[in-house]
Amino acid sequence: MRRSFATSSAEATRGVGRALGEIVGAGAVVVLTGDLGAGKTVLAKGVAEGLGVAEEVTSPTFNILLVHVGRVELAHFDLYRLERESELEDIDFWGVLESGAACLVEWGDRFPGALPPDVLTVSLSITGDETRGIDVAASGPRSAELAEAWVATIAALPGVEIGDAEELG
Amino acid sequence: MSVDVREMAYADLDGVVALEEATFPSPWSRATFADELARPHSRGWLVAEEAGVLVGYGGVMVVDGEAHLMNIAVRSDRRREGVASALLDELVARARELGADRVTLEVRAESDEPIAFYRSRGMQLAGRRAGYYGPGVDALIMSADIDEVAASAGSELILAIETSCDETAAAIMRGGTELLSNVVASQVDFHARFGGVVPEIASRKHTEAIVGVVDEALEQAGVSFADLDAIAVTYGPGLIGALVVGVAYAKGLSLATGLPLVGVNHLEGHIFASALAEPDIEPPLVALVVSGGHTSLVHVPEWGVYETLGQTLDDAAGEAFDKVAKVLGLGYPGGPVISKLAEEGDPRAIDFPRAMMHSRDYRFSLSGLKTAVINHIRHEREAGREISVPDLAASFQAAVVDVQVAKTVRAAEELGVRTVCLAGGVAANPSLREGLREALAARSIRLSVPPFAFCTDNAAMIAAAGTWRFRRGDRLGLDAEAVADLPLA
Repeated sequence: MRRSFATSSAEATRGVGRALGEIVGAGAVVVLTGDLGAGKTVLAKGVAEGLGVAEEVTSPTFNILLVHVGRVELAHFDLYRLERESELEDIDFWGVLESGAACLVEWGDRFPGALPPDVLTVSLSITGDETRGIDVAASGPRSAELAEAWVATIAALPGVEIGDAEELG
Repeated sequence: MSVDVREMAYADLDGVVALEEATFPSPWSRATFADELARPHSRGWLVAEEAGVLVGYGGVMVVDGEAHLMNIAVRSDRRREGVASALLDELVARARELGADRVTLEVRAESDEPIAFYRSRGMQLAGRRAGYYGPGVDALIMSADIDEVAASAGSELILAIETSCDETAAAIMRGGTELLSNVVASQVDFHARFGGVVPEIASRKHTEAIVGVVDEALEQAGVSFADLDAIAVTYGPGLIGALVVGVAYAKGLSLATGLPLVGVNHLEGHIFASALAEPDIEPPLVALVVSGGHTSLVHVPEWGVYETLGQTLDDAAGEAFDKVAKVLGLGYPGGPVISKLAEEGDPRAIDFPRAMMHSRDYRFSLSGLKTAVINHIRHEREAGREISVPDLAASFQAAVVDVQVAKTVRAAEELGVRTVCLAGGVAANPSLREGLREALAARSIRLSVPPFAFCTDNAAMIAAAGTWRFRRGDRLGLDAEAVADLPLA
């Protein structure tokens, strides 16, 4: 299934992230895609907040993986600097995905073949200085359930506008 | 900490006897000490004091040109801070005055730490006395030429290993300052040495490179494992898959050679890089560590004490340079190419936001600036205007530098330090160097910027910090692990 919505500010983007963090469970895999500056790390900061992570969530670009402790463990990947899929093995990508942590994977679309079958893909696009378009795609039953619950909770948030639902096979 | 060493007097005996009793299983009596003090022609007894309070003492007896080191004791909460070394230096000087040319001592055979300390000061095993300290408790006899002990002050030979991120590096250093070799894998011709392609980020790269890099460091320094006194290794913060390679290799070397292992924080290494280039640098100081992975303002009231004043809330400074360069299609790494272009641009052409400039804390935020650059490019393209890349580069760089300079200067002033150290790969940025130099010079605050080779990740800085930790007696156990988010504390 696919859903799309729009946010009117960085704070609203962080807010939808927070709502996702509040409902995301152990072992969930969320892929974040979008150009530089689209707001992937802003949304990730919100998810961490929703998960009850106390520390500051910074960009994992340099470290590739940063792990935070919240209601469940949050594994925050950034695959930006990786050049080939084989490097995922070096950072124990699949091991962490199966560790039970909630996983956020920035630039996860770089290696689509490396992702597990049931992931939630959140694609951010720049639509204005502050505004962002957010497309949500679920590739399995678990992520579809998460997407439904998420979109239902964010409808009432300030600065969020929900687009039409679109069911795909 | 400043420790004063002076002659022991009768008035010191209360404190000395109390420390003797707290330190040794079969302590000397007050009467024995008093008897020692009555023999100044063959004895030297000294106390170490910190702010007038006794922290240690030691004695030496000279007979027929041979100095016998007697009880050296340091208060348990003041160990690993160089007190014993300071006492030993003075005792050796006193023994020399009394005509000694050799030094000898007995030490409990099971006391690993004192044995390692005396070994690091040039003393060699010379024998064993069975049951010397009572049934089943042997003494080891250690001895050395007195010149050797005197010369060993600050002559430890350290191998340092750094693999916290992309670089595999090793260095050999003597006495904390004399760099004998400094090898960084990316600067080694790997095709020639290993005949293979080296992948970029992979921990596999470190695994393939580390043996060769350490061998190269030993070879260039002209030393072997047998000459070393310790192995220092970066155990965090950094990329976990990279860190574990260095830590595992260092542990293996430690186990195989019996050399003590010293753990170093990568950021502490960056701060020590300043002292490497300018040995007279002393805390209290403020350090700005700016690199691809870090943007931290740190107060260092004394070596080994770090108070992180603020860090980036999102992107590191080097990361911001890389990402803006990427948006502009300028390639990687972004720092050098942007600073080069900026030379031809107008830093006032575009008024980019100075995030957190006026927040009263020392935190940084660079993600908003990156977005502002992206928005600017989009607006200009939509308006059909040509973008002046040099102007954009100069204006972006100025926005980064202004905030870094303002916060660093304010930290130095508020904390009242007279020294600022700039460290990390972004310290290579000429505009940041100049901006800081100018602002600090106006306030008569010294700025230390290490040479470029010591700014980017290297093992020489780990060797410098490792030597300092080795002298304090800090050791990393063989059960220790790499810590990706190791705090600077």
